[in-house]
Amino acid sequence: MDLRRFVDLYAAETHENIRLLQRSLVELEIDAPADAVAEAFRAAHTLKGISAAMGYGAAADMAHHLEDRLDALRAGTVAADRDIVEALLAAADELEDAIAEAIRIGPTAPGDDAAAADASASRTAPAAPAPAGTALVAHVRLRPDAPIKSARGALIVRALAAVPGVLGSDPEEFGDDFDGRLRVFLAASADSAAAEAAIRSAGEVETVEMAAPAASPAVAPAGNVETQAAQSRQVRVDAVRLDGLADGLGEMSVLYARLQRIGVPTQAGDIVDRLGTVLGELDHEMRALRMVPVREVFERLPRVVRDAARSVGRDVELVLEGDDVEMDRSILEEMGEPLVHLLRNAVDHGIETAEERRAAGKPPRGRIRVSAERERGSVRIVMEDDGRGVSTEAVAAKARTAGVYAREEPPATDEELFRLMSMPGLSTRDEVSSMSGRGVGMDAVVHRVRALGGAIDMRTRPGSGTTFRMRLPITLAVAQALRVRVGGEDYAIPLTHVSEAVELDGGSDDVLTVRSHTVPLVRLRRVLRVEADGQEAAAVIAEIGDRRAALAVDELVGREQILVRTFDAVTGMLPFFSGATLLADGRPALVLDPLSMI
Amino acid sequence: MARTVLICDDALFMRTMLADILKGAGFEVVGEAQTGAEAVKQYKQLQPDLVTMDIVMPDMGGIDAVRAIVKEHPQARILMCSAMGQQALVIEAIQAGARDFVVKPFQPSRVLEAVQRVLG
Repeated sequence: MDLRRFVDLYAAETHENIRLLQRSLVELEIDAPADAVAEAFRAAHTLKGISAAMGYGAAADMAHHLEDRLDALRAGTVAADRDIVEALLAAADELEDAIAEAIRIGPTAPGDDAAAADASASRTAPAAPAPAGTALVAHVRLRPDAPIKSARGALIVRALAAVPGVLGSDPEEFGDDFDGRLRVFLAASADSAAAEAAIRSAGEVETVEMAAPAASPAVAPAGNVETQAAQSRQVRVDAVRLDGLADGLGEMSVLYARLQRIGVPTQAGDIVDRLGTVLGELDHEMRALRMVPVREVFERLPRVVRDAARSVGRDVELVLEGDDVEMDRSILEEMGEPLVHLLRNAVDHGIETAEERRAAGKPPRGRIRVSAERERGSVRIVMEDDGRGVSTEAVAAKARTAGVYAREEPPATDEELFRLMSMPGLSTRDEVSSMSGRGVGMDAVVHRVRALGGAIDMRTRPGSGTTFRMRLPITLAVAQALRVRVGGEDYAIPLTHVSEAVELDGGSDDVLTVRSHTVPLVRLRRVLRVEADGQEAAAVIAEIGDRRAALAVDELVGREQILVRTFDAVTGMLPFFSGATLLADGRPALVLDPLSMI
Repeated sequence: MARTVLICDDALFMRTMLADILKGAGFEVVGEAQTGAEAVKQYKQLQPDLVTMDIVMPDMGGIDAVRAIVKEHPQARILMCSAMGQQALVIEAIQAGARDFVVKPFQPSRVLEAVQRVLG
């Protein structure tokens, strides 16, 4: 039968369980809590079951091995020392690869471990003994989605009545608890091909595997019933489809704004009003649909820290907070890599050796805290380590060598230091370490965060640690923006970065006083190289972290919903744009990135 | 020559839907029955290649109709149409001589697979 249509579901579910497995194993290494063993065991068990159900023999066998080893841990016959956990983690990695391979190449015959697999399955559900004279056992499994499996079982038994040499079946009668697996006992005289044909003629049969009575092929565990029931109200949707829907909805919102702008005849007023309400509701639902807890990325992090710490001989504790905070799936996915990079960096370069830490009067075990917090329309992710801090001298020296820094003295502020660290190709270490040096530098991290419409800053204190703070929009699809005009062209500035807008009354100062604070005045006419005549009449105060700047524009047009589409900037284009959008009147406009100007 | 089918269901919607699926697969719908008694009567007249039989119908249910038909025509190929939750009735129908079953709501592919098995 065609199992390919379950592949997506299989991929998603194995992904979840592999993560669960890895996370539990890492917890196991830290202080061997019993529930971590139990959780890892369950994950391995599920992986075995669903892999077997898909006919992915190799993956099922591996999961089964893992399950056995975890069972020994659970029973207490083996202690969870570092080496054991190391081996288990390696096995989990292999399993992950095997699953990916299985998805790629499709089902295979069950491996040599089939007999062992059955032994473990029979622990949970003792099978009826084969009747005397049984020479061959047919293991039959119905399609998991076959309706009324009990009736199907009855059809199989009836079909077998015409085949000589069939000694019986287990179960013999089919109640509502029949899970779709049965064994058919055949005498030596039976024609196994005829028996298989009869079984298959009953329909909805997924597999028929013949085995000697003692050994039997891997079978799917029946333990998933609860999960299936819990999932029955849930639907898994291809992320690409969701993106398509979100794009379409975003475009509709923009079209609606255009409709309003044109002006609607009175008799259509009610309809357009209602359209606006419905669009608002749809937008709300869509946002909710796209939300996922940051846990989906956070749960990968303990493993990252563990591996990085091991490879450089550090002892590091990772504390995760706020992992149930939700944000747009696409933004979260994009943030995985930068987070991993920052973490590796922290372990590689931030956290000192235990001896250094003791000498500095710190606890020997380093500590990294990653937290997520909802903050108005954005999510704030903070990564904080208690290591040695960033050496301003080292960064400055490196920058001088690279020719991007000419001054004698090192950067005076964290902002300046961070800007230097984020220069392309700059790294504070002489050699690229195997962990953090995978071609992703701080510049890539900063670039990614900004491309998502977010902001990042850094604070570091010599001897006591470094903190990265990232602010990210909760959703990507539709953003609120301020529409401004400079030299006859319209631009959009995302409201996430705007604190207020003020009038300008001429002058050519390079600073502006707002509420008795002086902020640098960035003249967009100059920055964007506008030559057309015009007068700067307003300023938009952009705020990122502690940095503020006033962006002088000709005119404030108004507030609008925009649908941002990121693009790869054309060579030679000014580096001040994070994307493009269609404005409410249908005109295209560039989206300004205030971060690039502050 | 097109294979013939007798569709037995008291709901017009179900008959229409089944007729649609089966016509699409090249069947000729030679009769439609709304009760078990009608089904038995029409089977006798039409001797169709296939019968689809609803379980719950007024004036003789589907299972009794299967018994009555199979008693006189042991070679009759009857496909039961069941709703979810009718496990016991489906098993009873199979014991009475129905060849296979499909479950509502109908998926055309599943119906056609079952038909294939019944006729094969």
